[in-house]
Amino acid sequence: MNPQIVPIHRKESLREDGMLFVRTEGILDTMVKLPLLVASMIIVAAVIPIQSSFSSPRVLDLIIYPDGTTHVSSVIDVDPLVTDYELDLFGNTIDNFVVVGEDGFLLNTDVIGNSALIETFGSSVITIEYDIHDLVSKQGRIWTFSLDAPSDFTLLLPKNSVIVGMTNLPINMEIINDQNQLTLSVGDTEIDYLFSTTPIISDPIVSDTLTPQTDYLTYALVGGVVAASIAGIAIVIRSKQKTAKPEQVQQSTQKIETVTAETIFKLKPDLREDDKEIVKFIANNGGQALESELRKKFLQPRTTMWRAVKRLERNGVIVIEKKDLQNLVKLRKDIEEEEEE
Amino acid sequence: MKTLAIFTIFVLISGVAFTSSANNAYAQNDPSILLRIATQADKQILNQLDRSYGDSIPSKIQTLYEKGHTSVESLKNSLSDNIEQAREDFLTAMKSFKKITRMISEPIAESKISAYTSTPDRDFSSELDRLEKHVQNLKKISEKHNSEINFEEIDNLINEAHIQIDNRTDNTSEIIDKLKDLIHSIKKEIRESASHGASDRIKQFVDKQLKNIEEKLTRALDAGADETQIDNAHKLIAEIKILISENDIDNAKMVFHDLHKLVKNIVRSVR
Repeated sequence: MNPQIVPIHRKESLREDGMLFVRTEGILDTMVKLPLLVASMIIVAAVIPIQSSFSSPRVLDLIIYPDGTTHVSSVIDVDPLVTDYELDLFGNTIDNFVVVGEDGFLLNTDVIGNSALIETFGSSVITIEYDIHDLVSKQGRIWTFSLDAPSDFTLLLPKNSVIVGMTNLPINMEIINDQNQLTLSVGDTEIDYLFSTTPIISDPIVSDTLTPQTDYLTYALVGGVVAASIAGIAIVIRSKQKTAKPEQVQQSTQKIETVTAETIFKLKPDLREDDKEIVKFIANNGGQALESELRKKFLQPRTTMWRAVKRLERNGVIVIEKKDLQNLVKLRKDIEEEEEE
Repeated sequence: MKTLAIFTIFVLISGVAFTSSANNAYAQNDPSILLRIATQADKQILNQLDRSYGDSIPSKIQTLYEKGHTSVESLKNSLSDNIEQAREDFLTAMKSFKKITRMISEPIAESKISAYTSTPDRDFSSELDRLEKHVQNLKKISEKHNSEINFEEIDNLINEAHIQIDNRTDNTSEIIDKLKDLIHSIKKEIRESASHGASDRIKQFVDKQLKNIEEKLTRALDAGADETQIDNAHKLIAEIKILISENDIDNAKMVFHDLHKLVKNIVRSVR
């Protein structure tokens, strides 16, 4: 049933007071594209957490040595249009302070107290490394690490250390070379640990018997959004069927194309050997892998792997996409076409 | 139209709620780690109590331990069906254990870890590890700058320090200090070498920025900015160009800072 459009110039449709009435039911359909509206809403909602993480350190990795000194490694986005960047350090007893720009060149720095003035001059990403003696204190046998972190961070505890007190929840824990590595969230963190003669062994009973907790709320919300989207699509299809002739919908099946590592090496013969290994792994993994998977596979620190991935991106070998707040690294399918051009 | 409006609002609300909940989901990749940490802490605290008090644990500490241990037991159950309760149990347990460790640790004043400690318990192994890591960084930077610095002496000293630490000899301290001095001088060499490359980068940056600034000044003049200030800015630009052509980068940087401040004021005055 198409809504009948009544010409507004018909005299009989005018009331005595001379007011005009126009049918508005079709206006929204014709002026606003519903799928576009829905997509915009979802994009706006999805962008909120990305915006909130802007301007904080992109990577922050801490390593505590057995003597309590902590190595800080951080990657920060900076404004490429300004000459310098003032960085707040986590204390004022700093050693081995080094800052490099995105191209790996050393940047001039001036450390005064617990802040550092870095001459960035056009760099958009800087990598900072230093050792600090202010984050860990010791009382008797107990060592206490405390930090008000500006972003989520990883903390590698010394070998044979056992956590015996904690003020907040860890996001994740991994065991790397017999050392506990915690991923912790932004804000105040205080961790007490002591050194044990018993080595750290992950409890097999614990890890085998416990299944990850099902977050029903998340599933409900995901289900809600999916249901809403399906309902929206159904409404759009139905309204289109009512107003227009049925169109033949062409369903294009997505063909998953992957580029082989050999093809990439032929096209990009100048790739570094370690980068080639990463490319091989991604190619064997179906053409994509999370950056965290790459770190685990190649046992590389976060900053090193991040640099390698950025290098591959600059070389046009991969693209980086965000997936659940993680970096998903994909081999470029159009690499051959681009090289031919 | 009403259906469409309701639907749109629903999508927006669910979308926002979904993305907010994504943070919660991310905040606990694998909840079983909570139990792993708490169980390890429980065992460790029990060992400490045995070692410190044997069978005569003070009642206050005993109560705290029971509270912590009960929370660990509760955590085992709550993990499978109530994540919020599990988080609460974890924090209760870890806070109780924290209090116990404070109470049983020797009554020694809390001390920050000193940067240049010369006490007998100086951990040379950790110090050497950090220096080695720093040297690796310097090698990469040196390579990037093609500075052709010879790291052989440093590498030899590092090897020697490792041997001294393994053999627990007395002169490790001297070697470490010598290594630090050597690293310091190498770092200086790298800085000198890097300054040539840095000059080119700074020149490029300043050239690009001066063009932007000149455009800004033209717009500010059209918008009625103070002509004297605009003239001053142009004088500074001319000065920078001369300094850059003379390769006097340090002074060019200083004048550029002044210019940057002045341009900010000019732009602010016409807003």
